[in-house]
Amino acid sequence: MIELKKFSYWYPGTEEPALQRISLDISEGEFVGIVGANGAGKSTLCYALSGFVPHFYNGESEGQLTFNGQDMAALDLGQLAGQVGLVFQNPFNQISGARFTVREEIAFGLENLGLPRSEMHARIDEALDLVNIQDLADRSPFSVSGGQQQRIAIASILAMQPRVLVLDEPTSQLDPDGTRDVFTALSKLVSTRKITVILAEHKLEWLATFCDRVIALGGGKLRAEGTPQEVLSSEQMLRLGIGRTQYSEAAARLLRTKKLPVTLEQAKKALK
Amino acid sequence: MMNLRKEFTTLSITLMAIGIGINLAVGTIVLRLGLPLYLDSIGTVLVGALVGPWAGAATGFLSNLVWTLTGLFPQAFAWAGVAAIIGALAGVFARSGWFNTVGKAALAGIITGILSAVLSAPIATYVFGGVVGAGTDALVAAFRAAGLDALLSNVAQGTFSDPLDKLVTFLIVWSLLLALPAREKARFGNLPVAAGRPLQGKTRRPAGKKTAAKKAAKKSTRRR
Amino acid sequence: MRGGSIYIERTSGLHRLHPLTKVALTALCFASAAALPSLAWLLALFVGLLLPLAIWGRLTAAFLKSCLLVVGPFVISLTIIQGFFSGGETVLFRLGRFAFTQEGLLAGLTFAARLLVALGGTLLLMQSTPQAQLMQALTERGFPPRLAYVVLTAIQIFPSFQDRAQVIIDAQQARGLELQSGLLSRVRLLLPMVGPLILGSVMDVSERAMALEARAFSSPAPKTSLHSLADSPSQRILRWLLVLAAAALLAWRLWSALQ
Repeated sequence: MIELKKFSYWYPGTEEPALQRISLDISEGEFVGIVGANGAGKSTLCYALSGFVPHFYNGESEGQLTFNGQDMAALDLGQLAGQVGLVFQNPFNQISGARFTVREEIAFGLENLGLPRSEMHARIDEALDLVNIQDLADRSPFSVSGGQQQRIAIASILAMQPRVLVLDEPTSQLDPDGTRDVFTALSKLVSTRKITVILAEHKLEWLATFCDRVIALGGGKLRAEGTPQEVLSSEQMLRLGIGRTQYSEAAARLLRTKKLPVTLEQAKKALK
Repeated sequence: MMNLRKEFTTLSITLMAIGIGINLAVGTIVLRLGLPLYLDSIGTVLVGALVGPWAGAATGFLSNLVWTLTGLFPQAFAWAGVAAIIGALAGVFARSGWFNTVGKAALAGIITGILSAVLSAPIATYVFGGVVGAGTDALVAAFRAAGLDALLSNVAQGTFSDPLDKLVTFLIVWSLLLALPAREKARFGNLPVAAGRPLQGKTRRPAGKKTAAKKAAKKSTRRR
Repeated sequence: MRGGSIYIERTSGLHRLHPLTKVALTALCFASAAALPSLAWLLALFVGLLLPLAIWGRLTAAFLKSCLLVVGPFVISLTIIQGFFSGGETVLFRLGRFAFTQEGLLAGLTFAARLLVALGGTLLLMQSTPQAQLMQALTERGFPPRLAYVVLTAIQIFPSFQDRAQVIIDAQQARGLELQSGLLSRVRLLLPMVGPLILGSVMDVSERAMALEARAFSSPAPKTSLHSLADSPSQRILRWLLVLAAAALLAWRLWSALQ
């Protein structure tokens, strides 16, 4: 669905590429996790996968970046918005502020797409339901907690019914409660909807339980790729400054096994 | 006119909203702190300097519309045109490099302040009967007592407060531009490359540029 | 002085009017403020039109209070300045070499009444109309949607800027940094207080703008709205009548000035 071939990208006025010769093929319905230390290129890759690189940031690129076989650079952001949704780190920045209730805030994107009123209401109700914030519908989006705001941001994108959802560290500015809320919503989404999800995240325990595939970045390069178990349990994670899940660490100390667990379930089995 | 479209990209539109937010937030705080200044155009001057005259004008105009719409200062709309001219001037000054040094920025602030006083006076005189409904009306009374006519008294009152207010505003914006990473400034495209660079003129290095700029910014603020 | 709206939610006929009908009413107030010849006429308009509208909107107390707060300072300034300096024969009292005249007092009060009518109309509009509805109505009549975004977002964002600034001010005061010392030191204290706040929000602009693009902000499709604004043929006629009346008042004023 989204394909990168030896894709490199330089931000305007920089000499070091933010992404370096990355080849990647993401297919429909897949849940892909992106891990990497700060500055490894996670955000830039998220922007590339959703078309903001090269559309929003100028700068230079090399190689190929295609969406459904079409060159990403040839599509415009207005067209892409209904196809690929992007959720950012900071919840406050994602509230448009141009609407006064949560329901209206979610409607903002749909109004821009020019949808008829009845369809808007149906989609908003569905999105509120998916992230479990029906009770906030008539509140001001500025009067709720960060975790709730982030779920409003996700609902606002989901209501646009994108085929791909890209999330760039959606919980990095949230407290543990807010983090749990967001991931609970995400797991519900994965189980009820067939949608391609790409999630950049530091919280490896959560990532490991959701992903079909994990990609590890370091210095703008693709360093590892495979199932969560293969990638997240490897020694390389420590060298890249990514770390490993608490389950892998515990098992590494307790067990003499090559195949370290990365999720709670796997850890339970391994420790039996 | 060629720049009109360029100054209303989604990026600059977003900055305008933030700029108006800054105007209102700082404006109301300054009022509460009891300073004899308004400082309600920091956002307008900042947007004008970063994006350009059209964006600056729009920010000034819409700021006064927002003061009216919020009911915080309903009469503000009468001065929307003056606010627009202040924003446009900031854009022109910045484009011509007047924000490159503290001295030029200060002079630009004083010039803008004088112009603002001259343009505001007829509004106070003919729309509001020669007053603005604030403490500064005591000054107007003093000038009338000294024999000046209604319009001149308002010009005189304005030249007491406006140049100082705009001087402080332009200096604040100058120091903000100094502290802002070059990458952020370049994104909006109005400032000449040298603007906000440290006075000693350090050369740009591609790597670690951000930290160099930050250090330099710190140094020059301290030196001030 | 906190918060970005003076709208007061009520169930009333005034609230239910289409925003543009109320804008037309405000326009009539502006025209009347400029055109009506005397204090009596201006006060009659206030008592005969604005006050009944406020009562209809169940906003009487709030409306009168706002009018007093906004126009009160003008009454004081205008009375003093016009009373002493606009000439006249009938001297009421003297202060040193300056005479306070009856004609000046009347001129001052008349000007204050003009402001009362114009600003009263504005206040009533904003107290009975949610800003979002007003902007939607304007957008439907051709106001650029991108600028409507700027206006509405600014209105909603500045209270959170204020909150953040207040936290910093409180922290400074808690650390014993006196805010009430001389002018220069107060200005110098202000910059470190608001500087980081402003810089931070400017650095956030890219992410905000991208988030907007992700919401199809630049989509070429014609925009729709979630809510419809109730309108009626009779209101449409009323709006035209109000605008005609405003234009007629101004034309009459212009004509009598030229005579």
